[in-house]
Amino acid sequence: MYTSSPLFLLVSGRNIEYMPMHHLIDPARLAVEISYTLVVVFLCFMIYFKTREIYDLTKHEGIQYFRITFSFFGLAYLLRFLSILFIPMGVTFDSHLLTHIFRIFPMVFSGYFSTMAILSLTYSTIWKKLQIKHTLLTFNAVSVLISVIAFITRSPSLLILSQAVLLSFTIIMATYTDSRSRKISPLFILYILFFLFWMANLFTLDPRRFLPIEIQILFRIVSIAVVGIIYYKVAKWTK
Amino acid sequence: MDKIRRRRDRLEVIYDILKIIRQHHNSIKPTPLLRYSNLSSQSFSEYINELLEKGFVKEITNEKEKKFLTLTDKGFRYLEKYKLILGFIEEFEL
Repeated sequence: MYTSSPLFLLVSGRNIEYMPMHHLIDPARLAVEISYTLVVVFLCFMIYFKTREIYDLTKHEGIQYFRITFSFFGLAYLLRFLSILFIPMGVTFDSHLLTHIFRIFPMVFSGYFSTMAILSLTYSTIWKKLQIKHTLLTFNAVSVLISVIAFITRSPSLLILSQAVLLSFTIIMATYTDSRSRKISPLFILYILFFLFWMANLFTLDPRRFLPIEIQILFRIVSIAVVGIIYYKVAKWTK
Repeated sequence: MDKIRRRRDRLEVIYDILKIIRQHHNSIKPTPLLRYSNLSSQSFSEYINELLEKGFVKEITNEKEKKFLTLTDKGFRYLEKYKLILGFIEEFEL
């Protein structure tokens, strides 16, 4: 069962055409990923828990979707990490079922959670101007559809493409609903950056798209800074 | 511009009702509360029912069988956090 394990193939010197060498578990990359995931997931869940009291007191729809956003983003980042961890296991097991479980499922669920998060964050800012009936049901249907696409294609590429379309829609909607205000809000820029970093994260999930470790670290630091600013803004009002 | 009175949103109406109760030593009859709150009687009933249901206020009856409304801990917490809630909503454009 383990005859095609990366370690075995490395030792035996056989050529692994479908799995580039750099994407086998590299300790430096793993350390960067663990630290990055821990910080982002911690910040996302802290945002969720810190806003619990003001949501309980108000039952405000905007706050509700804001909270959903960060709980789902936390889960999406966690599953993205599992996806990275399990990609080498895809070649470790000969069984298709195990390959699916370890490689495809985390990516599919990550796609579902992140799509839910993107939709919720968009809706939290436009819900007063644009009322959607059965909001959560609609968002779930769109998210399931996108994650099914990811499952069928077994590649993050279509997930990125779907979410890019969604992001363009978000920008158009936010601009359309806020057409009276001429200046671009700093929060809007922050949200766009947050989405873009998420999609860049999905982009680097593909083993063929290798980035040097220095660029990855820099990228992660800026990404953490964006989530950190959002957390700081939340903490300021939820003492 | 000042002549046109701005329509209060839901959170503000709740804040106003709870503030009036607190200002009256945390005990007020429904009729004066309706007068001070500047709401139609239908809206007032809807808000009071919501506040009772969600546990922001409670109804007490005195020895003369007269009904009063008082704030609960949750009601006091809402008043205390209101400015922060508004700040949060404004900060994140919710």
